[in-house]
Order: sequence, then C-alpha cells, then structure tokens
Amino acid sequence: MKSFSKMVYPYVVWAAVMIVVPMLMLVLYAFTVKGNSVLTFQFTFDNFIRFFSDPVFPGVLWRSLKLAVITTLICIAVGYPTAYAMAKLKPNSQAVAVLLITLPMWINMLVRTYAWRGILSFGSFSGEFKVYVGMVYNFLPFMILQIYTSLSKIDPSLITAAHDLGADNTQTFRRVILPLSLPGVVSGITLVFLPAVSSFFIPKLLGGGQYVLIGNLIEDYFISTGDWNFGSAISLIMAVIILISMYVTRRLDRYTAQEDE
Amino acid sequence: MKTEKILKSAVAAAAAITLTGCGSSSTPQTETIDAQTEFGCSTINIYNWGEYMGEDVIPNFEKTYNAKVNYDMFDSNENMYTRLLGGSSYDLLVPSDYMIERLLKEDLLQPLDKEALTNLGNLDPEAVEMQKVYDPDLAYSVPYFRGSVGFVYNKNNISEAELEEKGWNILLDEKLDNKVFMYDSQRDAFMVAFKALGYSMNTDNEEEIEAAYEWLRKVHQTVHPAYVTDEVIDAMAYPNPNEAKDIAVVYSGDAAYILSINEDMGYFEPKQGTNIWSDGMVIPKNAGCPALANEFINFVLEYDSSYDNSITVGYTSTNLQVKEDIANGEYAGINAYLPRSGYDKDEVFRYNDVLVQKLSERWTKVKLD
Repeated sequence: MKSFSKMVYPYVVWAAVMIVVPMLMLVLYAFTVKGNSVLTFQFTFDNFIRFFSDPVFPGVLWRSLKLAVITTLICIAVGYPTAYAMAKLKPNSQAVAVLLITLPMWINMLVRTYAWRGILSFGSFSGEFKVYVGMVYNFLPFMILQIYTSLSKIDPSLITAAHDLGADNTQTFRRVILPLSLPGVVSGITLVFLPAVSSFFIPKLLGGGQYVLIGNLIEDYFISTGDWNFGSAISLIMAVIILISMYVTRRLDRYTAQEDE
Repeated sequence: MKTEKILKSAVAAAAAITLTGCGSSSTPQTETIDAQTEFGCSTINIYNWGEYMGEDVIPNFEKTYNAKVNYDMFDSNENMYTRLLGGSSYDLLVPSDYMIERLLKEDLLQPLDKEALTNLGNLDPEAVEMQKVYDPDLAYSVPYFRGSVGFVYNKNNISEAELEEKGWNILLDEKLDNKVFMYDSQRDAFMVAFKALGYSMNTDNEEEIEAAYEWLRKVHQTVHPAYVTDEVIDAMAYPNPNEAKDIAVVYSGDAAYILSINEDMGYFEPKQGTNIWSDGMVIPKNAGCPALANEFINFVLEYDSSYDNSITVGYTSTNLQVKEDIANGEYAGINAYLPRSGYDKDEVFRYNDVLVQKLSERWTKVKLD
C-alpha cells in the first residue's frame, strides 16, 4: 500500500505546475496594473472596480448565470425521467441505452455543435433559442448518466418494502426513490452547471454573433484586446462564483446524505 | 468551403499551366539547390494567416531547396504577436501593416538581404507605395497581399445608387434590420464608424472616438447586426434562405471569393473612404534560419507561387503580372479583386496602442448593448 501512495507524486507535480501556478499568475494579473515589469508590481483593485462600476459587465455575468441555471434545470427536467426509464429496463437493454447516450460523445463536441448550426439553419430561430438547444444537447448526457447511476444502485428490495408497508407508487417515488437518487442529481448539476456557465464556443457558434457571454468576454480581453489584467480579473470573479456554487451543491449533497440516515 | 476552394485551385492550376504555356513572364526553377550546403540550415518555420497560401507553394519550395517547412497559422495579428513574445521562434511571419510597424518599433525584426531578393522587380508599384507607410526604407518587409474593406451586398435587394448615396450610413437604415453582417473586430468596426462620420480612422481625438462609439451603438440598435468573422464568407457565398443577409462588411479578398461563387453579390467601397491594407513577409530577430527564409520570400515573389497564392485565397497579388493576369482571367469582372488605390480618403491603419485600448472597451460595450 505504501509503495502505491508514491504513485500520486506525478499528479501532485502536474497539478502544481499546471493548475496552482497558473491560478497564482491569474490572481497576480488580476490585482496588478497593466505593463508591469518582471520585478516591480503595482497592486490595484481597479480591475474589479471597473468590472462592477459599469452595468454592462455584471449584465453579461447575469446573462451567463441565467443561461447556465436554465440549461441545468432543463437537463434535470429531461434527464431525470430518461434516467428513470432507463433504470427500469432489462439489464441488457440498459447497457444498450447507456451506449446510446454515450455514443454521441465519441464525436468531438465542437464538431457536433457545428452540425447543430447546420440543422438549426433550416428554420428561423432566435440566436438565444439556438444557444439553449446547443447547451442542453451537449450537457444532457452528463446529467442522464449521473442520475441513472444512482438510480440503478437503489436496492429493489427497498421499493418492495415500501409497497409492503402500504406506500403507493407516488409515495414510494417521493419517499424512497427520489431521496436516494438525489446524490446523482447533485453531481449531475456540478457536471452541467460548471461547464455551462463558462462555455464560450457554443454561444459563439450558435448565437449568430449576437450573443455575448462571460466566456466570450474573457476570450476577447485576452486575445483581441491584450488586456490580460482585466481578463484575469473577470476570470477570477468567475472562479469565485464557481467556488460558491460548488460549495452550495456540496451542502445540498451533505443535506441529502443526512436525510438518508 | 474547403472543397470548393480546392476545386477552384485545381481549375486555377490548370489555368496556370496554360498561361505559362503561353510563355508569360514566369521563370520556372529547374535546378535544385541544397539548402544545407548553401545556407547552413534546411528547416524554416513559417507563421502565416489561416487559408492564406496556395497548396503547392510549400511543396515546390521544399523540392527546389531540399528543405523542410513547418507551417503554423494564426487568426489575428494580436494572437501572432502574443505567441512571438512568448518566445516562439519563427523564420518568417506575415503580419499586417500596423503590426509590422509595431514589430519594427519594438525592434523585433531583422533587415532582409535585398541582394538575394532578385524577384523584387516583380512587385506591383502600388503595393510598394502602401508598404512605404509602415516600412519607409523598404528594408524589413516584402508585400504579400493587399486589399481593402468594403460592402458585399445582394444586388437584388440593394441598389448601387443607394450605396453611392449613403455609403457606410446605409447601416443606419431600418429596412436592413437583421440583414447585416458586421466584422467582429474593433479595428474594422471603428474604421467604418470613423469613415461614416468623415474622420480619420487613425484619430485619437476623444470626441471623435466618442462620436464613432455612438454611431456604432446606433447601428447596433437600428439593424441588430450579427458580429462575425470568417463565417461571413460562407454565409454570403451560399446564403441560407432563412437567415440570408443583404449586406456585409468584408475584406476585399473574401469578397472576391464570394463574388466568384454567388452572382447576386456585388462589392462596393464607399465614397467616404475605407481601410486599405497590406500584409507583408518579415523575418523576426530570433529566426533560426534567416537566409533560407529570405530565399522563401524570393520564391513567393515568383510568378507561379504568386499566382497559386492569389488564385487560392482571392486576395490581390502584389506581383504585378499575376495581378493583371488574374484580373483579366479567372476574376475578370470581379471588382473586389482590384481594390481602389490612390483615393485620398482611403487610409492605411497605423499602430497606436492608446487608441487600441480606447476602442476595445467601447467595442465590447457596443456588442453587449
């Protein structure tokens, strides 16, 4: 066992170099003024003040959060019944169903989004609608698979017991199945909401150039403007929001876990 | 689009064979040179725009010089610049005028070996004239392509007379609501606004910038443009009936390509003036094999390479003979291939860091409105 624990070192090194150092640089950029030389840093809060003092930027942030929340809700609304139906299938059919859900993921996300652009150009839809279609399509499988996994882990005897004790189907679902499947929903939310809030190529490809989100804003400041300091500040604000939402979902998870006992 | 372009270049290649057969001024290189013995190195790294070179230019060069070419592509001058500052070593870059000006100012380029550039005489004097704006001694760069910015418009829905009358201000016409493609680059969008208002596009007068910002906001609110980049090419060449647009702000080379596919489209450069630009080949200071890169520049200036480049990409060749042959041949009747030159209201974009900062924030806000 002890020798195995050494195998974690490559990951620790990798995480330090690829995650921690860039994050620190991001923080450094966010709190400094443009045009620092390597040795002298001039610290400032201006980047953050600039973000919040102009209604335009928080507006974009709000729009991105709204998009992510709605996408997540649609994914739950569509994904839960699908996962439930899958879990009720015979074992062999379940394997086929899982395969069918994962199959599209064999193709690169970017390519599939391009395909949607072609499909959606046959009707006259608003850019916003197209973005929602693209988001739900891309993230739905993650939600379905998470919920399906926790549903299929439920011991059937629990359901039989509930019926024996006089619960009807609705009651069994509400009191037994739903609480036991909530951890799957929570991890599904994490897998959908987090990438959705920072997604930038789906709105870029499907929004018809009329739909700017926080991810596009960050890209703009890094690439076309070359203002890395402000771009970093926006990224940091995003990171904080993501941390908060992770904390909230964690709490939700713990809450449901406690209810189980 | 890709297949279309490949098809087109195949046709072009056939045309090129007939042309050279007719004994035009091309000088086919028959003997091969060994780059390693001649220049001491045999690999060059080229960093160029995407879709900006003919398919045969590099293979031919590699064959003739027994050399290896690594080819990388960028999609904006700023991207290229960031990469270069990040320490990447390239032997040849093809940035635009204002970026060459910036690289020169920051002392990142090395002078070319003009003795070895025996094909400089092939250059179009008009292209050299534009080059002088950013490289006054013509010591560091060689023009690669040039062009302008203008409207591609659907001739069935918009008349040329109307464009003559309104120029850039046609973008404030309510009947074009949801019918407009705007190029998603602060540089080009503000150029349109400055010209529409009769200002210089290189102004840094605060009031003029503010007025241009207001103009763009008004356009945004009136016609709700779609802000796009290269997607505009396909969207105008093969319009989808459900989302077809009537007018788009486009670079002349892309316009030439669109016009060659779609006969309903026309190209128009407003009377208020526009941006004329050129991209040039330069060798950065930290190049590993500058002598061979210099040789590559000379190779691009040859008739065959220039022809291959221009016919594949659609931009105006800086090789005079090629420009004339294509304008009278493959692209006959397509005005976008021959952008206006010598018009006093047209300007070359100059490097101005302060202006870029001022424009970028405003451009973001226009789009977010």
